[in-house]
Amino acid sequence: MKLWIAALLLAFACYIPTGAEEESEARLLVAKNILNQYLVEGKDLTVEYRIYNVGRSSALDVRLKDDSFPDADFESVRGNLRVSWDRLAPNSNVTHAVILRPLKSGYFNFTSAEISYRTTEESTERQTGYSSSPGEGGIVPLKEFDRRFSPHVLDWLVFAIMTLPSLGIPFLLWYSSKSKYDMPKAKKGN
Amino acid sequence: MAGGNKNKLSREEELLLQDFSRNVSTKSSALFYGNALIVSAIPMWLFWRIHQIDLYQSAVFFIVGTIVSTYLVAMAYKNTKFILKHKVALKREDAVAHEVMKKLADDKKMTKKEKDERILWKKNEVADYEATTFSIFYNNALYLVLLIVASFYILKNLNPTFNYVASVGAAAGLLALFSTSNN
Repeated sequence: MKLWIAALLLAFACYIPTGAEEESEARLLVAKNILNQYLVEGKDLTVEYRIYNVGRSSALDVRLKDDSFPDADFESVRGNLRVSWDRLAPNSNVTHAVILRPLKSGYFNFTSAEISYRTTEESTERQTGYSSSPGEGGIVPLKEFDRRFSPHVLDWLVFAIMTLPSLGIPFLLWYSSKSKYDMPKAKKGN
Repeated sequence: MAGGNKNKLSREEELLLQDFSRNVSTKSSALFYGNALIVSAIPMWLFWRIHQIDLYQSAVFFIVGTIVSTYLVAMAYKNTKFILKHKVALKREDAVAHEVMKKLADDKKMTKKEKDERILWKKNEVADYEATTFSIFYNNALYLVLLIVASFYILKNLNPTFNYVASVGAAAGLLALFSTSNN
């Protein structure tokens, strides 16, 4: 019984301060996702950031920074890895996408991005947070990807052209002889 | 009389054909090996472009595979040709005799025996030609079908180099096997 009361008190104690904070401050949640099904060396890779403001007031001077893509491994195609928004209203969200190109194949650990913002108009201190991290992803070599998914229409066409003489010439020679000698027989039969 | 002649000819012809046996002339042997080499080299393109094998790294496999396959395909050509030649000779008998007789009808000097020999010779030539061309066509087509089925369906997920060795070996081996089993 004593234990039960203690648990209740503890729960209440936790609730009061957090409730009070949420009422007046902005609170941002960031989800970072890789949208591609296959990560391929030298092919575009889309990273999406979704920022939700679940607090009760606007987040100000929001800065998103992602340092988890080293220049040696990734080339930027479109979009910035450092972005900022002046204000993010409560209960709203914003989406940002960046297109990158992996330069190397192999496993890569996709870690989280960093976000910082001011929680209220008055506050001067910046609140820092981290996005979710997509985790480790395998980047497939381009050769391997081509082998499995490219239709190779041109290559098959060339193959057809290459095989055509080796099939067509003997067939035509045989057919011309066959039709030459089949005819008299047919006439005879008639 | 005509019927008797025909029987006699076909017996003679059988002897002649047996004389020829499986040994082919140098010219047709060169033709077989040349064709076999071309058709055996074609898979390299598929494996290089589509299975993405590095040509230089796997050069040894490609060369050995092509040589073995050339030998087996040429063997299949020879066997198929040998079997076909008999069948074609029997089939073309009347037509060839008719053609030769028509050509030699005006030639009164020629004896019956000479004419028969001419017919026999012509029949052998026609049978040889048709059997050779058809054997090349048939074996090429079968080889390519076997190769594509093996490399793109059965062994699709294997390591490309192993896939090359296995599918070329299987296609050429089966081809050689089929050509002997027709007996």
